[in-house]
Amino acid sequence: MRLNTFPGGIHSPTFKEFTATKPIKEFPFPSRVVLPLLQHTGAPLSPLVKKGDRVKRGQKIADVEAFISAPLHSPLAGKVAGIEDYFHPLLGRFPALTIENDGSGEEERKDPLCDIENKDPAFLREWIREGGMVGLGGAAFPTHVKVSPPPGKKIDTFILNGAECEPYLTCDYRVMIERSSAILIGLRVLVKACGAERVFIGIEENKIEAIEKFDKLVKDLPFPARVVPLLTKYPQGSEKQLIVAILGREVPPGGLPLDVGVVVNNVQTAWAVGRMAEEGLPLIERVITLSGECLKSPENLQVPLGTVLSDLVDFCGGWVETPKKVIMGGPMMGVAQTSLQVPVVKGTSGFVFLSNLYEKKEYPCIRCRRCIDACPMRLFPTMLGKFSEYQAFDEARDQRVLDCMECGACSYVCPSNISLTHLIRLAKAEVMRRSRKGGNQ
Amino acid sequence: MNEELKLVITSSPHLRDEITVPWIMRQVVLALLPATIWGIYFFGVSSTLLTILLSVGSTMGFEALNCKIFKKPLSITDGSAVITGLLLGLSLPPSAPFWLPLVGGGAAIFLGKEMFGGLGQNIFNPALVGRAVLLVSWPKAMSTWWVSAPFGFSGFSGGGAASTFSGVEMVTTPTPLSIAQMYGYSSLHQADPRILWRLFVGQVPGSIGEISALLLLIGFVYLWWRGVVHWDIPLSYFVGLSCVAILGGQSALFHILSGGAIMGACFMATDYVTSPISSKGRYIFGLGAGAITGVIRLLGAYPEGVTFGILTMNALVPFLDYLLPPRFGVKNQMVKEEKI
Ligand code: SF4
Ligand code: SF4
Repeated sequence: MRLNTFPGGIHSPTFKEFTATKPIKEFPFPSRVVLPLLQHTGAPLSPLVKKGDRVKRGQKIADVEAFISAPLHSPLAGKVAGIEDYFHPLLGRFPALTIENDGSGEEERKDPLCDIENKDPAFLREWIREGGMVGLGGAAFPTHVKVSPPPGKKIDTFILNGAECEPYLTCDYRVMIERSSAILIGLRVLVKACGAERVFIGIEENKIEAIEKFDKLVKDLPFPARVVPLLTKYPQGSEKQLIVAILGREVPPGGLPLDVGVVVNNVQTAWAVGRMAEEGLPLIERVITLSGECLKSPENLQVPLGTVLSDLVDFCGGWVETPKKVIMGGPMMGVAQTSLQVPVVKGTSGFVFLSNLYEKKEYPCIRCRRCIDACPMRLFPTMLGKFSEYQAFDEARDQRVLDCMECGACSYVCPSNISLTHLIRLAKAEVMRRSRKGGNQ
Repeated sequence: MNEELKLVITSSPHLRDEITVPWIMRQVVLALLPATIWGIYFFGVSSTLLTILLSVGSTMGFEALNCKIFKKPLSITDGSAVITGLLLGLSLPPSAPFWLPLVGGGAAIFLGKEMFGGLGQNIFNPALVGRAVLLVSWPKAMSTWWVSAPFGFSGFSGGGAASTFSGVEMVTTPTPLSIAQMYGYSSLHQADPRILWRLFVGQVPGSIGEISALLLLIGFVYLWWRGVVHWDIPLSYFVGLSCVAILGGQSALFHILSGGAIMGACFMATDYVTSPISSKGRYIFGLGAGAITGVIRLLGAYPEGVTFGILTMNALVPFLDYLLPPRFGVKNQMVKEEKI
């Protein structure tokens, strides 16, 4: 098999064996869910309900006027128990709606979407936004924004991202195998909405079953589509690297895939869109992976948004070993959690429970170039790390620190165990702060 | 599940690969072993082993001493001092007086490394600094090659003095490079038509660890296979050296195979700390070091030239570091577009 890939990156163990063969289980409706009012990249939402209101499953409960935002729907039928600050997996604490399950199971469904190919793209984009769709790969960028080409720009290619390069995570893989027909319907909606003429489906070669499945299925699509097997390498699933691997095009600094005529969407996003088209349910559930050596029974679960992590851990049978670290997302880009009380949000691709902290002795930089070879953005992480340490932020800016996408490959490979990604993150924040302040100090 | 856990909070990534600085250093030592063993076998244990051990011992000892004086944490466990000592020892002539490796090791650690702030900070390759100090201060001791009789070159000046080491009859011999410098390459070739082959496999006297091009290259290929080194610097070094040799009307292959050029290109010029990190910079660095080596050999007073060729380019590394590759996304090369 000829495999496409991008320059740089790392070959780490994938740790997917914990859950790769485990079919998706549907998590039973919890007694309550906690829904932070910011679950996407963009503007925070305002609640449309108040404490004591009864809500149905699928009912819109929060929204905002801003373009870069996506509304929120209730994953349960029940009563709004309160709107107050609560644990947020990315933001520490944030205002959240708590909904208590009343067991009635009342639902509010939209009409199924038929005759997709004859719909107006603008209508479809609005329809996608109304479903609260965001990128489910982890970044949670509102999907309707991703499929809206700016005026005068033509989208020629749609890429469906099934790379799932983060170690441990297998939810996308399972969705590709078990929910493939809904993915194809969602794909048709997304392609029509952005106006692309052809589709590539990028899947890493370690997910051979998914590749074979889609190889057969794409023939029935109403547009040209092909599966592109990718080398198993991190960060193959990063949008920019995926576009390089498949099309050889590089997204300009600070730009979006739209700038090179491409739209990229995650397979699970396509599934969520397809599910809404078929069943009329907005984005109220997603599939996540719970994995790591600490968990008694690692699983792929379809869970209602807002489910609290401790309930999920109970479902997986608790610990075989006390975790030292709990990460939301994969171990390369995921965020370490302070508490098991965090809820699942739209961008949650999973939780990983680690007892291995990967402690490695620190040495001075020996200039071995490993970080440079690993950097998919052609940066010199060692140099940027030093600038950050010496607070030389202007030099860091001149050496393209803002191009860094914080993939973590540089820290991963460093034999001296220098926290390059962390140092670069600090420098990026400072450079951005200074440029916001304006002037050129 | 409501028990509270003590959770560690760090920023991503949360994984690390297994490769560490000591692991890398061990690979380099391993790669040098075949050439080292051949050197010991070729010249005899009595005239080589002590030199190598003293050299490694002195770099480690001086580094430990330095840590003690400046109250730094003991840094010899990172393995870099071992490599410095080994490289220095291997670049000394067999039967060198015992103080040569000691002084060289001291110079390597203090002048070459710690003066700049230790591992990662030094501009010049420490082993080469040690060697350069010895070359400049004791040129005679550094260029007298005692070998057991059948291996030497007779009939050229610079050779012939005889002595006995631990019961073995030894003579001094000129190196092929000094013969070529004084009498021209053709007379050397006349004296020994199989000279290139003998240089390649390691049957011509030279510095302890630098005689067998073959074994050094095997070591280098091992390092490359392990992902520890890249071939860009050695290749451009050989290109630079060959160009100068050819311009000077001499055999390029002869220059590559003799006088420690392979050791220099594969193990000294590729030293992480003192070679550029930018890819373009590395080609310039290698070309420059090779070319300067050639020029010194053809025109200068020293028949070798590897040491000063590399040290000169070491000084330029801070500038070469800034030759960044083109920025991602700035020039869109729509080249390998997939088709449906
Ligand atoms: S990987 Fe680490 S030691 Fe190597 S050059 Fe980068 S920062 Fe330095
Ligand atoms: S984290 Fe940034 S600097 Fe490090 S490898 Fe990724 S893109 Fe490059």
